[in-house]
Amino acid sequence: MKQNQTKAWLFLAPTLFFVTFFSIYPILRAFVMSFQSGSLISLSWNGLGNYQYIFSDPEFWLAIKNTLLYALISVPVALAISVMLAWLIFSKVKHKSLFETTFFMPYVTSTIAIGIVFRYIFNGEYGMLNFILRAFHLPAPNWIDDPSMSLTTIILFGIWTSLAFNIVILMGALRNIDPNYYTIADMYGANSREKFWRITMPQLVPTLAFLLTMNIIAAFKIYTSVYALFNGQAGVGNSASTAVFYIYNKFQIVGTPGVAMAATVVLFLIILFVTFLQRKMMKKIGGQ
Amino acid sequence: MNNEKFVEVKNLRKVYDNGYEAIKNVSFSVKKGDLVCLLGPSGCGKTTILNMLAGLLFPTSGDILFDGKSVVKTEPKDRQIGYVFQNYALYPHMTVLQNVMFPLTVGKNKKSKEEAEKVARKYMDLTQITEFANQKPGSLSGGQQQRVAIARALVQEPKILLMDEPLSNLDARLRLKIREEIRALVKKVGITTLFVTHDQEEALSIGDEIILFNDGVIQQDDLGQNFYLEPNNYFVANFVGNPVIDNFKVEIKDGKVIGSDFELNLDDFDNSRFKREISDGQYILSVRPENIQPDENGHFEAEIKDVELIGRERILKFDHEAVQTRSLVNLEVPIKAGDKVALKMRLDRVFLFTPEGERVY
Repeated sequence: MKQNQTKAWLFLAPTLFFVTFFSIYPILRAFVMSFQSGSLISLSWNGLGNYQYIFSDPEFWLAIKNTLLYALISVPVALAISVMLAWLIFSKVKHKSLFETTFFMPYVTSTIAIGIVFRYIFNGEYGMLNFILRAFHLPAPNWIDDPSMSLTTIILFGIWTSLAFNIVILMGALRNIDPNYYTIADMYGANSREKFWRITMPQLVPTLAFLLTMNIIAAFKIYTSVYALFNGQAGVGNSASTAVFYIYNKFQIVGTPGVAMAATVVLFLIILFVTFLQRKMMKKIGGQ
Repeated sequence: MNNEKFVEVKNLRKVYDNGYEAIKNVSFSVKKGDLVCLLGPSGCGKTTILNMLAGLLFPTSGDILFDGKSVVKTEPKDRQIGYVFQNYALYPHMTVLQNVMFPLTVGKNKKSKEEAEKVARKYMDLTQITEFANQKPGSLSGGQQQRVAIARALVQEPKILLMDEPLSNLDARLRLKIREEIRALVKKVGITTLFVTHDQEEALSIGDEIILFNDGVIQQDDLGQNFYLEPNNYFVANFVGNPVIDNFKVEIKDGKVIGSDFELNLDDFDNSRFKREISDGQYILSVRPENIQPDENGHFEAEIKDVELIGRERILKFDHEAVQTRSLVNLEVPIKAGDKVALKMRLDRVFLFTPEGERVY
């Protein structure tokens, strides 16, 4: 027994080494740094100073507000649309794999590249989106250059980019549902609405719980799409600043790693709390 | 009401899109209240027939009548059938009660919740699953799940119950118990039942009548014991019976049946059992193992290779023309492996088939 344990530790050692030095140590280091001030080479103890600073910084609150709004709007909307599209493809479309491939394309393409294309689509003067909106006599706002529209633009872009992954996973889940469930329901005369709500949806709950967790975490870490859409800025006048943008800005541009790490710790706690809440919620739904 | 032909299948044919002819001109009828087994090896078309009866598959040609009315163009939900799948297909996210209630709470004729529960409870009592009402199917044993599936198939009070290999997911001992339960239950409810199985023993024990299929054709539609005693053809003789029947290649010439190491007189055969005039040529002589017995005046001699004990009987195994052949003897017969034994066939019980499988004796 004793001997086995030594052997086990020996086999685990390489992994443990990497996990310790590249995951656990940075987390602890970030936590310690959040209580320090100064530049990276001359850090000094600062107590709760960094936390005081960020909590009184309106820019930080804007970033948190934007991040929360982004997560709370884009994730549910994207999930709802994904379920709808996946169900449509699954139940109505003949050449499923073609559509699946099409929908999966954005996932394998770099967000930066897509973002640049979307800069053109969203362009206020000659963008395709406004061209279509004008054709229907709808208001055509300046998606990129109007500070009041930045968050909306990011949310729209975020919904679009997250569809790919969601749909592919949901298609897999739909395929896993025993087709006999539907045959039986047909035999008893269930209509398609009854079949969807009483068979499909309950069967998708575990998958939806997984996607919700993944999407929420990804949403809180949003950075790349902002960077790509607004050409390296956080929107006009920082109007689309997000938590990670704030952290990056404080770390690299302003050069206050302590402040950046304090914001990191706060973001970490928010994600932890939301994920925890959501797991509780899904357990309740799934356990019904 | 047409009680004699409650379910009637006329010249049914099914050709799949890929050109495979699964069912070739099948006709049969089922009496009201009967439990009929559709028996056959895998791929013989028995499930295809069941699915056509259920309306899940559309026949290429032919007609299906329930109580004298053609249902070929009727949707499954309007056919008044209950269907039990091989894997039960219970909804895992619903409790047993919700599962059983499901058929009553969907579609056009859905009942109020109270009414649905009342009917569901009645059938749950009948199938003895009331105590599991609030459990999910995942926490039940195979046999219990089976009963839930049957209760769910019965709540809409269908006229015909279709079961597709409902016992194949259960272990051997449970299968024996559940098949008795199923028979008792459908007889109690009085519902006409078609039961698909590939297990001859199951079919023999549960069915009022058995329809044996192979290659999309009915091989025999008969009472259980006749499959054993009076098989229609070579396929039936070989499909039914355990241990399986022994076959000997023989030539009939000048009133003699000549095997590789035996010669029988056609005069010793039972004259009344000949199906038609027999001409000289190649035939297959088939004998149930219990009709080959050790006897001093044996027809041939063989060395016993192996002796297998099956309860109160033993199977003596020997090679005949390099084919394993069996004799079923009483437990007390003291023959052991390695013994040379003279064996005699009971000629009033053997069968003769043409090489094409047609039975002539």
